This record gives sequence, structure tokens and C-alpha cells, in this order.
Amino acid sequence: MRSKIEKLYMGIILLFMYAPILTLIVLSFNSSKSRARWGGFTFKWYINLVHDNSVLNALANTLIIALISTIAATIIGTITCVGIMGLKRRSRTVLMGVTNIPMINADIVTGISLMLLFKVMHFETGFGTVLIAHITFNIPYVMLAVLPSLRTINPNIYEAALDLGAKPFYAFRKSVLPDLAPSVLAGALMAFTMSIDDFIITYFTKGSGFDTLSTKIYNEVKRGIQPEIYALSSIIFLAVILLLAASSYIKHRQNSLKKGKYLYKADRKISRGQAVALAAASAFIVILAMYFGGVFTRKNNQLFVYNAGEYLDPEVIEMFEAETGIEVVYDEFETLEIMYAKMVQDDGAYDVICPSDYMIAKMIENGMLQELDLDQIPNRKNIGEQYMEASRSFDPDNTYSVPYCWGTVGILYNKTMVDDPVNSWDILWDEKYSGQILMQDSIRDAFMVALKRRGFSLNTKDPGELELATEDLIAQRPLVQAYVIDQARDKMIGGEAALAVTYSGEVLYAQNENPDLEYSVPDEGSNVWIDSWVVTKKAKNPEAAMKWIDFLCRPEIALMNFDFVTYSTPNTKARELIEDENVRNSEVAYPGNDILKRCDAYSYLGEDGDLLYSNMWKKVKSGI
Amino acid sequence: MSKELIRLEHISKSFDGELILDDLDLVIHENEFVTLLGPSGCGKTTTLRIIGGFEKPDSGRVFFDGMDITGLAANRRQLNTVFQKYALFTHMDVAENIAFGLKIKNKPRDYIEEKIHYALKLVNLEGYEHRMPGSLSGGQQQRVAIARAIVNEPKVLLLDEPLGALDLKLRQDMQYELIRLKNELGITFIYVTHDQEEALTMSDHIVVMNQGYIQQEGTPEDIYNEPENAFVADFIGDSNIIRATMVRDELVNILGTDFVCVDKGFGENKPVDVVIRPEDVELVPRGQGIIPGKVTHAIFKGVHYEMEVEASGYEWQVDSTRLFEAGSEVDIQVDPFNIQVMNRPESEDEEAMAIDV
Repeated sequence: MRSKIEKLYMGIILLFMYAPILTLIVLSFNSSKSRARWGGFTFKWYINLVHDNSVLNALANTLIIALISTIAATIIGTITCVGIMGLKRRSRTVLMGVTNIPMINADIVTGISLMLLFKVMHFETGFGTVLIAHITFNIPYVMLAVLPSLRTINPNIYEAALDLGAKPFYAFRKSVLPDLAPSVLAGALMAFTMSIDDFIITYFTKGSGFDTLSTKIYNEVKRGIQPEIYALSSIIFLAVILLLAASSYIKHRQNSLKKGKYLYKADRKISRGQAVALAAASAFIVILAMYFGGVFTRKNNQLFVYNAGEYLDPEVIEMFEAETGIEVVYDEFETLEIMYAKMVQDDGAYDVICPSDYMIAKMIENGMLQELDLDQIPNRKNIGEQYMEASRSFDPDNTYSVPYCWGTVGILYNKTMVDDPVNSWDILWDEKYSGQILMQDSIRDAFMVALKRRGFSLNTKDPGELELATEDLIAQRPLVQAYVIDQARDKMIGGEAALAVTYSGEVLYAQNENPDLEYSVPDEGSNVWIDSWVVTKKAKNPEAAMKWIDFLCRPEIALMNFDFVTYSTPNTKARELIEDENVRNSEVAYPGNDILKRCDAYSYLGEDGDLLYSNMWKKVKSGI
Repeated sequence: MSKELIRLEHISKSFDGELILDDLDLVIHENEFVTLLGPSGCGKTTTLRIIGGFEKPDSGRVFFDGMDITGLAANRRQLNTVFQKYALFTHMDVAENIAFGLKIKNKPRDYIEEKIHYALKLVNLEGYEHRMPGSLSGGQQQRVAIARAIVNEPKVLLLDEPLGALDLKLRQDMQYELIRLKNELGITFIYVTHDQEEALTMSDHIVVMNQGYIQQEGTPEDIYNEPENAFVADFIGDSNIIRATMVRDELVNILGTDFVCVDKGFGENKPVDVVIRPEDVELVPRGQGIIPGKVTHAIFKGVHYEMEVEASGYEWQVDSTRLFEAGSEVDIQVDPFNIQVMNRPESEDEEAMAIDV
């Protein structure tokens, strides 16, 4: 009985520990993009991974950083240990305490400290700073592994080698090092694992245009995770497990040697199979690192692009690079607010950005953008006149921006779960659908819904109107299942909710996955938004930025991006190229004029307006 | 006496402010088996390490064959060391361990093979060439360490308590082996130990040390029979060390009774220590000796009996082949030649320095 309970207990503990990872691994083989639906077994995410250059670059960065920082930290750490052993006991204790502190210290403190140091010393953040940071935090791990075993080594061994005529370094290499090697190797593996694993310190020291796997995955998570990332995470998990196994295997061998289990030298030599496996693993890492090594030779002709996540076909980047010889450093932001904060902090970090309407107005007003050289962008003529006209609400002379995507905000609903006609925002306040409603976790979109419902302008700065909208949103709170960003689509596909405030661009994809879904722009009106490409004032390579925008305005390129992003393209030539008639004439992708008439674009509210909205939003979220 | 090989002049050394060696002078001759003997912390190992080049003296000079080698690194000295804990290279087999020094000297392969064979034969480990050190017993490992040292044909072999980690039986066997080795090799051995029996058994010359000073040097017989102070007497074997007064030359008052002795030159009525070895105390029936006493313990030790005799308020240790049962009334007498008279220092420091001239 007792042993049964013990086993059950162990089982539960193991389940708790490994259920999350198992979920991840299972999902990495799910052919449906939705977490909520099992679409059959597939390897396609793993295959996609191999073809995703941004992920492969991040992988190469991770491996190269890990490899170099491990080698450097291992050498420095081991030498430090030897030095520490030569000290008097008191200084030794003090020094060991001091070197351990970075390990105990919160990563975030280490990360911020390093970032500050790099800023103060005017280091350009990127590969170099991340490498230095990784070496720094890896040294204590190496020391932690090496020091205890160095203590157990008979110091006479080194003296014996000297005594027999060896020069000091040779003596160390031949006598102490072989005994120490397993610990050094264990320390190196530990450091390697830590380096691959690290997110926080990397995040603070990486700057723009440089990602390791962990920061890459973080960006993806913010935008809604792609199944490729499940596959990638599964691979990382496997790799870490293998490293740990190798590490403990080495320790095991060391103990066997100490206990005199090996009678003859041949007994302790590693077998041919083990040697081959080890060599293959090392070769794999080295080749991979070398293959992607080219990423780090910084060329002069670079273009730094900052875009929302999953908002461009990666193949387009390759085509642009191949044609122009310009190297594109492509970064993704999670929300416009984060993008804006980043640009305020370092206004020269990116050359070309793709923000939304009201944000463009804000950036123009704050002098963060430069006027476009329209002679360099002849393909702008492919953009429909109505979209240029609509852009005047945030870019009055059409001089700063070129539209890229546009769409409406509406209600995505599951017709098997909703009986009533969906033609008013009121349905989101209907108690019948309590717990079935998804709202956007975004200030402007949430207020837009409440303001439009009462017939107010979605750009209002009238405190009275906003007060009413706030009260409505608070009243709605108990009915809302969750405030989400990108998860709305997945939840709707999986049938987890009945109604969701969604961008029109998500709809075609969602309907493809779940034919029960419908989209409606309520009669009270809604938001029509435009995302446009702009060039920053401090851009280091404005010519390349103009070429980039012109390239994206080519009909066939715009079509590729439309196929990838599924958000409506303002490029009329591209729209004509869409093969699928249902898509080309889709009411969702290209709503009729009657719908558009009901919709307005967001305009920039000014600092006061921003503050007013965000204070009201806090009330809504806290419910007071 | 043979040629002088090593000379230490005015060697001082301290660790962490603690003085370990103070102005030490020592001469070692060719082909001698010299033992540095003393309790732990006496400076014997430090002296050996200075000779080996593992420590630099704070002051003083080291000469080897007439050359000043004070600043010469350990790897360039013509001597080899056998360490207490063997210090074998655990990742190399026995043959590789032995070949280590020869490979550094770029000796030809055949020569190395031959030397390994010869050395293993010398230390009775033939056939162990390819064993790993971890799988050998302590005694075997120490033989490998010795073999590893001697293949380099050093002029001097330094041995730092090499038998310290071995059990008693093995230790005794190894003592004879070391003597044999020394005779076969014909080189100088400098041996460090705290075991007086080891020192007496193996050495040609013993240097007794305490607190950084040399207390006495001499042949084992000199040291044993004529300890120059109470420390040496106490450290070397069991002794009756008794406070006494030198009445005049050749007459010493021990515990209120005058004894005839052979020592002179201490002055008149001077406080001294006398050393009388237990086997030199003679027990005779009551009335035939000098002081009366009573046997309090008697134990059979094989070759002799060990007895304790209460006489004149002192517990005498007595070794004799003739038994007097516990409780017997006896007399004690001592041959004048067996009374060793020593100066009595006033304090411990003085005791340490007094003999160091």
C-alpha cells in the first residue's frame, strides 16, 4: 500500500515537472497551427525551421556565442582557479566569495549592469557585447566545477613533474591538467548550457539587429507563437538534456578512475563508438557555426528594418538582398508602444519602420521621420489613390509614408455558437455570451469599441464621453473571457470563444482553419487602419531604405507579402494578381464603400490625449 | 669522510609570518644516507623542499657540488624526489610514469625501455609496466615513485616521509629495501621522517631538528647513546631524563645521591639534566646497589622485561632480561659510562637555540 502511494506521489511529481515539456513536444508535431486543435502528425514545422533564415541565424548566433564564450570562460576560469589555489587561505576565501557573487546575483541585475557599463564605455551593442556578457557570467560556473576538484589534487603531482625536469607549463599540462580535465570539461559543458539557456542578460546586452534563440523566441511569443518555435524549443530541450547527460557521464568516469577501477590503461580509453560520436557532435557544432559565421562580418551596406512580427514574407528579404546586395538586418517589435520606446532610446537604430497611422502622426510630430525621396520610389504609383487619400489623416502631404497593409477592426464570431445577427457592438455586452467574449488588450481598440457603440468619435478627447466609455467597459468586464492580442485567432479556431474583436487580416486564415467563423463590421462603425513604411530621421542608410520601400511596392512582391500576411494590400496592381477570385473580391479583405464610410482611422491624440486614455484604461483593467 | 655534496648556509624561511627555519647550516656528503628527524613542524620538510627547489629560502644560500643553486628552478636540479603520497600521474600507466623524466630529456626509445625494465626490477615490480597506478597498493605505488625518480640517475634522492602512508609490516620491509637500493645505486639519500626507529635503522647520519633548529647531528649510535640535550634524548627512544646537579667534574648528584660519571667541564654545583637509557639501569638485590627502590610494574616484552621502579621519588624505566616481580625491593645502580650529563637550559627557546652553534 505504502509503496503504491510512494509510486503515485513520484508519478505526480514527474508529471508536474514534465507535463509542460511534453505538451510542447506534442504540439511541435501538430499539423494545425492552432493549439486547440489536433490536425494530425507532421514534421513540417521542423522542416520549416530549417528553411527559416531568421531562426537559423539566431541559432548560429546562439551556438557561436556559446562556443566562444565557453572556450574563453573555461580558459580564464581554470587559470583563475589555479591562481586562487596558490593564494593564502584568507585571500582565497575572500576571492572565491567574490567570484561566486555574479552567479547568485539576479540575472536582471547583471544584465542591466552590463548594459550600463557598455553604454558608459560607448560600446556598440551587438555580437561583441553579448559575447563579453556571456564570458562574464560563465566564468563562475567553470570555477564552480574546477575548484573543488583542483583542491583534491595532490599538489605534489605538479612538483613531481617539475622534479623530473618538466618546465612549469609542461608540468601543469602533463600532471595536473589530465586529472583536472573531466572537471574542466564538465565546467565547459555547464557554461555552454548556461550560454544557450540565457535570455535575460542577452536581452539587455544585445542591442538591435542581433538575436539569439532565446530572444528570438521571446519576440515570437509576444506576437503569438508559431509552431516552428515549438519544434525549435523541443530541439533545444533535447540538446540541453544531451549536454547534461554528457556532463554527468564525464563525472562518472572521473570517479571510476579515482577509485582505481581501471586496471590497465586500455580499460579507461573511450571506445571507438564514443570517440566517433564525440567527434561528430563537435564537428556538427563547428560546421554549423562556420556556415552561419558570415552573419557576423558586418558589411557597410546594411539596412536595419523594424517591423511587426510575422508581417513580411522572409523570402522577400532574401530576394531584396540578392538583387541589391544590401544586407538586411531584420528585427520585429511586439507592439507599437514598444517600438516607439525603442526609437526614443536609440533613434538611429533602424533605417526603415512599419508603424500604424496614429503612431506615424506621433512620430512626424516629434520629428523622428524624414521625408521620402519619391524619385527613388517610382513603384508608389501602384498604391491605390483611395489609400493615399486616407493616409492624409496622419500624413497630410503623403510625404512621409507609403501604405503597406490595411484593414478594419470587427467581430469574428462562430456561427454555431451565436444565433443573433452580429451587426452591432452591443452583442459584446449581451449576458447570453458571458465568458465567450474576447476583447483586444489594446487601449485604442478597446475604447474604439465602446466609443463607437455610443456613437462617439473614436478619436474623441472629450472627458465626458470617455468617462461613459470607461463605465461601459467596466460593466462589460465580467462577461469577457480574456483580453488578448494575437491569441484571439487561435482561440476562435479552437472554438474556445464565440465572439472576438479581431483585425480583418486574421479572418481569411481563421476561416480556412475553421469554416464556422464569420466576420462582421458593426453598423455603428469601426476603425480602419493603415500600416505604412516610413524612414527614420537618423537613418544611416536612407538610400537603401528608399530602395526597400520601392521594392515592396512592386506588384509581385506585394502579392507575396499578401499571401504570407493575409492582411489586405493597398497595392491595386497586386490585388489584380490575386488568383483566387473569392479572395480578390472578398468583402472581408476588400470591404465595400458602404462599410468603409462607417470607419475612421485613428489619429494621434497628443501627449495629453495619450495620458487620458491610458489613465482610463487603467481604471478598466483594475475595475475601479 | 667523503666529499661534500650539499651545503646550506644561513637558511631562514618563514610562512605567513611564522618562522620555520632560522639561520640553518647543514652539510651533506656524497653517498651518505642522511635523515632529517624531528616532530612535525620542526622544519625538516621545509629543509628538504629548499634542497629540492620547491621553496625559496628568505635568506641564505644553497650549494650543490660547489655551485650556488639557490635560484635554480626545481626542474633544473640534479636531484629527484619521492613524495609522501606517491604523487604518481594517475592517467599514465606505470611505464609512462617511469619514462616521464627520460622523455623530457629526449632519451632514445631503447634506452627508456631498458631503464624501465631495470628500475622495475630494482623495486621488485617486474611485469607491472602497464598497470594503472590507481589499481596498485600503497607500497607498490611508492616503489613506482622510487623507480620513476631513480631512472633519471640523480646524484641525490630526496625522500619526504615516503613510508608514512604505509602500514607497519610494509614499512619495515621497505626500510630494508631502501638500504639495499641506496647501496646498489651508490648515491646520496636525504630522508625526512618523524619516526626515530626508521632513522636509526637506515641512516648513516642523522640530523635531529626541532622548531627550526638543528638539535644534534651524528651517527645513529652517537645520537642514541649520547644525546646532547633533553629534547634529543626524549625524542630518540625511551629515556630516564632526570634533573640533577653537577657536584664537580666526574661526580653528579641525582635525586640526592652522588653518582660517579665520566663527564667534566660543567663547573661546580651546576643544574644539569642526566639521561640514563632504560637498558642501562641495573637492578640488583637490596643492599648491593646505590639507591633503594621498589618495582611497581613488570611487563614481559619478548626480548626483555620492561619494569618501573619507584626510587628517591622518581619513576625509573628499566629494561632488563632479568625479571624482578612487581613489589620486589631492589637497589639501582648505573655504570658511570652510561650516565649522560647535559646542560639544562632555562626556557624552551633557549633549549632550542642552545645547541645550535
